[in-house]
Amino acid sequence: MSATPAPAILDVEHLTIRFGGLLAIDDLSFTAKAGEITALIGPNGAGKTTAFNCITGFYKPDVGRMTFHHPSGASHLLERMDGFRIARAGVVRSFQNIRLFPAMSVAENLMVAQHVALQKASLFSVAGFLRLPSYLKAERDAHDKVRYWLAETGLAREADTLAGSLPYGSQRRLEIARAMCADPSLLCLDEPAAGLNPSESLALNQLLLKIRNEHRISILLIEHDMSVVMQISDHIHVLEQGRLIASGTPAEIRSNPDVIRAYLGVEDEVELELASGESV
Amino acid sequence: MSATHPARVDFVALARDAGAAALVAALLAFPLLGFELDASARGITLNVRLLWVLYAAAVVFVGRFSFALVLRSFGAQLSALASRGGGALSRLLSPTHLSPVNTRYIAGVAMIAFALVLPFLGADRNLIDKATLILIYVMLGWGLNIVVGLAGLLDLGYVAFYAVGAYSYAILSTTFGLSFWVCLPLAGLLAGLFGIALGFPVLRLRGDYLAIVTLGFGEIIREIIINWQPVTGGPNGITGIARPSFFGLEMLPVATNGGTTFADFFNIPFSPDQRVIFLYYLIFVLALATNFFTLRIRRLPIGRAWEALREDEIACRSLGLNPTMVKLSAFAIGASFAGFAGSFFAARQNFISPESFTFIESAIILAIVVLGGMGSQIGIVLAAVLLVGLPEWFRDLAEFRMVAFGAAMVLIMVWRPQGLLSHREPTLRLGGGRPT
Repeated sequence: MSATPAPAILDVEHLTIRFGGLLAIDDLSFTAKAGEITALIGPNGAGKTTAFNCITGFYKPDVGRMTFHHPSGASHLLERMDGFRIARAGVVRSFQNIRLFPAMSVAENLMVAQHVALQKASLFSVAGFLRLPSYLKAERDAHDKVRYWLAETGLAREADTLAGSLPYGSQRRLEIARAMCADPSLLCLDEPAAGLNPSESLALNQLLLKIRNEHRISILLIEHDMSVVMQISDHIHVLEQGRLIASGTPAEIRSNPDVIRAYLGVEDEVELELASGESV
Repeated sequence: MSATHPARVDFVALARDAGAAALVAALLAFPLLGFELDASARGITLNVRLLWVLYAAAVVFVGRFSFALVLRSFGAQLSALASRGGGALSRLLSPTHLSPVNTRYIAGVAMIAFALVLPFLGADRNLIDKATLILIYVMLGWGLNIVVGLAGLLDLGYVAFYAVGAYSYAILSTTFGLSFWVCLPLAGLLAGLFGIALGFPVLRLRGDYLAIVTLGFGEIIREIIINWQPVTGGPNGITGIARPSFFGLEMLPVATNGGTTFADFFNIPFSPDQRVIFLYYLIFVLALATNFFTLRIRRLPIGRAWEALREDEIACRSLGLNPTMVKLSAFAIGASFAGFAGSFFAARQNFISPESFTFIESAIILAIVVLGGMGSQIGIVLAAVLLVGLPEWFRDLAEFRMVAFGAAMVLIMVWRPQGLLSHREPTLRLGGGRPT
């Protein structure tokens, strides 16, 4: 990292959300810096996915402010925006339980992700319907983008396959490719390594590092797989029962006694796991 | 019947099963077949025909028993045969030496060519009339396909937009004297606006809830038509709706207020067949335009957004698609095609009344889309021919017409539960390896 501190891309302040009597997130504040991979970790039920749902507009928080600083300089208050407007502003997410368009082909999935730009180019379907050159050019560019991200995620041979018939690991990668086609500035990934085998996890690490280093896109990550979290995260925030209990670099988190006590509960095993950076 | 002796047949169980089926048949037959109204010179008398009920029960018992017997004895062979038969249609339309795109193209061109030459194949006026009716339903099926097949929004009130189109033309024509060609786009526009009006309150609904609200909407429109007497003529409907002209040439025996008739212009004797054929070609062109529009818009961002919405609304939202706009556009465009078809219907019939726009119409149009295979354009044509054509062909069966029709429907759904042609053609192919 450079000497000057990186500017924040996402500021979450005093985020609180309650479901009936359950305080799912309690006064959570954290920052994700531009150009970094920030991880949210914590035991099951700690409120990580709930925090994600607040950031991406699927839940409205009871209290709190979430400011997204677009690299162009514009700022967006996410708690006031509809989910689809948050996505248009540049915060695009993936889902813990994969949500592809299963009956559509892989390439079509990635074309849908470029809907906003293409719809504009098609002048609300008029230019598209008449097949004007301006639209055809936009369509060709969109196809190129599809090809690029299919190649990056190792799906180039599957362009015309139905998304629903892909094997599990490929579906996970397709979801990341689809999110990238939607032109994010902040990519939010909800457990992208869930269910992947060690070699697939390794490939995922490389993909995420490439997205950060070459495409300069910030990543916010929820992950249980320590081999992913510890190796690629620049910064880690640890949640327990809706509260932030620790923040720091992977090295700091690894040696934090609160984290070792809270995370998974069994001290020796977790200590071992955190120290070695391997998944169980 | 035990699992270790699959060949042994348990006749008692079969008889019990057939007995239960016969009981249900008897219960159903009692109100349906058990009474007969006899209108004679002395007045109307009600005859009770208990024997008919017994016949029905006996037929069902024997049928069910032998069906189950055959199924248990030759089940494996039969299912193999059925799957071979089921694949036959798909194979017919996609033989191995042709790509599916090509076969569909060839099938489409063949259908269009057949429809084009139909009036010159010595078809009588009656047949052309039936073909016109089928084409109306093809167009309605294609229109509803946008809403149900592509966007996945279950609409049970589609006939409302058909009614709006028909009444728009009827009212504009009889009160302002506007011509069919001016009213056609207006009717589509009005129906589209009604589509948006329906779309707004149902934005949050999906599946069965949406179906119930759209069903209610269809009924509301019909009730308004029945009760808004000064404008719609109430239950009496609207009569004397002007017929469409052929580029300003009237399809009438004698020209009205200074116009020219089609027959005079071409110097041929007038015949009512000319109008029937003209109307046939008119709906043919309208339906083809619907098809062309759908095929093209499917490949545009909005078309893909409709299909994505059908697949997963939450994922759509996370990619920046505005579900409100996507749904409203599907409702509006689907409705406007019903509006076009409706104004054609009014022009063809010369007379419309609320009776033409009952729920059963919505059900038939939806059945065409589902039977066709949810999204397949050619499948919808086949389904419309079956669903509108079959009841006509079964006319000789008199009162058992609808029974035969129902049986045909059940057989088709058993044979192909996914619809006649359920293959979905991707909107783009990038190539590069494994095909779909």
